[in-house]
Amino acid sequence: MKRIFIRPELCAGCKTCELSCLVEHCAGSSLWTIDLGDAGNQPRNTVLAGPKGVPLPLTCRHCPEPACVDACPAGAMVRNEATGLVEHRNERCVGCWMCVMACPFGLVWPSAREQKSIKCDFCGERDNPACVESCPTGALSLVETDPAGGVKEITID
Amino acid sequence: MKKVCPSADEILSRFIVSKDDVETAFHRLSTQQPKCGFGLQGVCCRLCSNGPCRVTPKSPRGVCGADADTMVARNFLRAVAAGAACYLHVVENAAGSLQAAAASGKEIQGAAVLAELAGALDLPGSDARERAGHLAGQVMDDLYRPRQKQMALTEKLAYAPRLARWRELGIIPGGAKSEVFDALVKTSTNQSSDPVDMMLHALRLGIATGIYGLELTNLLNDVLLGEPKIAAGPVGFSVVDPDYINIMVTGHQHALIGPVQEGLAAPRAIDLARQAGARGFKIIGCTCVGQDLQSRGDQNGVFAGHAGNNFTSEALLATGGVDLVLSEFNCTLPGIEEVCRQYMVAQICLDDVAKKQNAGYLPFDPGAGEETARRVVEAAVESYRQRRGRIGINVPEHGYENSLAGLSERNLRAFLGGNYKPLIELIASGRVKGLAAIVGCSNLTAGGHDVFTAGLTRELIARDILVLSAGCTSGGLENLGFMSPEAAGWAGEKLRQVCRELNIPPVLNFGPCLGIGRLEMVAAGIAAALQVDLPQLPLVLSAPQWLEEQALADGAFGLALGLPLHLALPPFITGSKLVTRVLTEDMEKLTGGRVIVEGEIVPAAEQLEAVIMQRRAALGI
Repeated sequence: MKRIFIRPELCAGCKTCELSCLVEHCAGSSLWTIDLGDAGNQPRNTVLAGPKGVPLPLTCRHCPEPACVDACPAGAMVRNEATGLVEHRNERCVGCWMCVMACPFGLVWPSAREQKSIKCDFCGERDNPACVESCPTGALSLVETDPAGGVKEITID
Repeated sequence: MKKVCPSADEILSRFIVSKDDVETAFHRLSTQQPKCGFGLQGVCCRLCSNGPCRVTPKSPRGVCGADADTMVARNFLRAVAAGAACYLHVVENAAGSLQAAAASGKEIQGAAVLAELAGALDLPGSDARERAGHLAGQVMDDLYRPRQKQMALTEKLAYAPRLARWRELGIIPGGAKSEVFDALVKTSTNQSSDPVDMMLHALRLGIATGIYGLELTNLLNDVLLGEPKIAAGPVGFSVVDPDYINIMVTGHQHALIGPVQEGLAAPRAIDLARQAGARGFKIIGCTCVGQDLQSRGDQNGVFAGHAGNNFTSEALLATGGVDLVLSEFNCTLPGIEEVCRQYMVAQICLDDVAKKQNAGYLPFDPGAGEETARRVVEAAVESYRQRRGRIGINVPEHGYENSLAGLSERNLRAFLGGNYKPLIELIASGRVKGLAAIVGCSNLTAGGHDVFTAGLTRELIARDILVLSAGCTSGGLENLGFMSPEAAGWAGEKLRQVCRELNIPPVLNFGPCLGIGRLEMVAAGIAAALQVDLPQLPLVLSAPQWLEEQALADGAFGLALGLPLHLALPPFITGSKLVTRVLTEDMEKLTGGRVIVEGEIVPAAEQLEAVIMQRRAALGI
C-alpha cells in the first residue's frame, strides 16, 4: 500500500505542497493562476509551525484504524481495504463535523464552499500525489508498506 | 542520461548533449524544479524580520498588513528599478567615454548622427568634438538631477504626442538616478502600500530607461564608435577560427570594448600573436555587446562575427576555441566560471558590476583605452600559450554565412530612400500587414531556449507581419537563419515578395537589447509621417522570452509608449488581481499600452495579428 512518508527534518516550510494540492484540486488552474485570495481554495495538507517554529508538514495519514471513519454517522468516511486509503464520499456527507473533531492530526476540515468535509484523496487518478511530486526537499516522499510493517521507498522520476 | 533543456537551435542542443563533462544552464534547469508558487505569483515578501510572509487563502495579509496587491506592486517596482539602474549604468559609462574622447581630441566617428543631434538638441560648440562633449555632459547632468527636476533631454527626444500624454498622467521622470533611488525607498519596509502609485512610478522608470538607457546609449555610442551599417556577415559558432587568439566578449557596453577592439589590430599586438603561433586576434561576439559590434561592422578585421545569445555562452566556451573572456556587464552567467576553469580560459572583467570570481579585474578608464587594450592583449597571448595544445578544440558547423545585421533608425530611413514613406505604403497596401518588434532575452522556461521566440517569429512572418528584432532574440533568430535571404521563403506570400524585391530577410536585425531604443525611434518616425500617436500604429511589441529585471524596465518603456506588449510568462504579478488588471487592462486607458500574457505560440500570434488588424481598421487601411 502506498503511503506518504514525512521527514519533518527536511522541510523548508515553503508550502509548495499546499500550493500543488490547491492546483490539483482547483480545476483548470496552475501555479501561476491559482487564486490565493480566494478563501474557498483550501489545500488538503498543511505546513504547521512545530515546536520552536520548526516547520511540520502534515498530510492525511490514511490510518489503519481511522478515527474519522469511526466517528462518521453518515457512512461518508470509508476505509478502502484494497488500497488502504481513507476515502470521503462527498454525496453522503451531512456536514456534522464529527470527523473534523475526531481526527487526531487535524487533517479533515470543513469545506469553505459547502456544508461538507474535505480531506486528502491521494490525488485520485494521479500516479503520485501532487504534494509528493512537488516537494523540493524530499520532506514528503512515497513509500510502499506491507502488512508485516515493512516500508520501502518508491522513487518518483 | 542527464536531462537537458531543449533549444530551438538543434545543432546547439546536440553540441551541448555531446559535451558530457560540461554543466550548463540547460542541465541545471531540471534541477531547479519545482518552482515556488509564491515566487511565481509575486506574493512572497522578505522586507522585514517578521517575514518572509506569503499570501495564501488562509493568510491574505503579511504580518505588517500588506496584502497581495501591495506585495506584488512592491516586488514589481523593485525589479523595474533594478532593471532601469542597469541601463542607466550603461548610458553613464557611454557618456563618460564620449566625454573622455571629446576631451582627448580623439576623432568622432559618428559625425553625421552628431550633426543631426546637434540640430535637434541645440548643442553648442564650434566643432564636432566640442558638441560631442556637450552632448555627453548634458546626459550626465540629466542622470544626476534630483527627482523634482525634470531631465532636459526628455522633452527634446520624446515623441511629442507621447510627451503630452505623459504630462497629463504626471509620469515624466525627474533625474533618472533619483527616480531609481526613490523607487527603492518607496518599496522598502512599511513605506508605500499604494499599488497604483507604484505602477505609475514603474512607468516613470520605463521612460527614463527608454530615452536615456536605450536611445541615448545608442546615440552616444554611434557618435563615439560610428553608426550601424547594414551588412551581411557570418553568425554562429562557426565564426570561431582556432588559428586566431579568440577573445569572447560578454556584456552590453560597446564603449568599453571599443578601445580593445581598436588595439587588437595594432601592429604590435599582431606581432605578439604571431610570435605565439597565431595569425592574429579575433573578437567572438556573444550576448548583446556582440550584437553591438556586429551592428557597427567589422571596422578593422578583428570582429569574427556574432556567435550566440545569453544562454549559448557556456556552450561556446566548451568548443575550446576561446582563449579569453572579456566581460563588462550582463549577461555574463556565473555558470561560465566553471567552464572557463575546465577549459583553461582566462577572464578579464572591465566593470565590477559583472565581476566573476575567477576573473581578473581591469577597471575601465575611458582616458586610458590603449593601456587597457595592451593588458588584454598580453593576457590573451599568455592564455593562448598556456592552454593551446592542452585543451581539445571542437567547433561545430553552426550558423549562417550571410546574416543581415546593422539596422538602425537612421540607416533604415536612408535605405528606404530618405523617409519612411515606402514602408508606410507597403503597410497601407497590405503587402506588409504590420510590424512586430520581437525583442528582449532568451530564457529556458518558455518552451526552451529560443523556442517561443522562433515559433512566434515564424507564425508572424507567415502572416505577412514584418518582424524587427533587438536583443538576445536577434542572436537566437540569426543562428536559426531568420535574417538570411532564404528566410524569405518562410514568410507569407506577400511579405516574401517584398523581401525578394528589397533583398531583405523577413526579420530585421536591430542588434542588442539597446536596439529597442532604435525601434522606438523607428516607430516614432513612422507615426510622425502619418501624423498619429504610437498606440494607433499597426505595431506590436513582444518580449516573448523575457528573462530579467532589465527586460521589465524595457517593458515599462513599451507600456509608457502605448504599445501592446506580449509576454509568454507573466512577470510575477498574478498574485495580485489589481496589478494584473492595471497592466493587462487599465493601462490601455492610461497610456494606450497593455500587457498580453499568452504562453502558447499560435494563440499569441493570433492575438498580436488581431491587434494589428484592429489598428489597420481604425486607420482605414
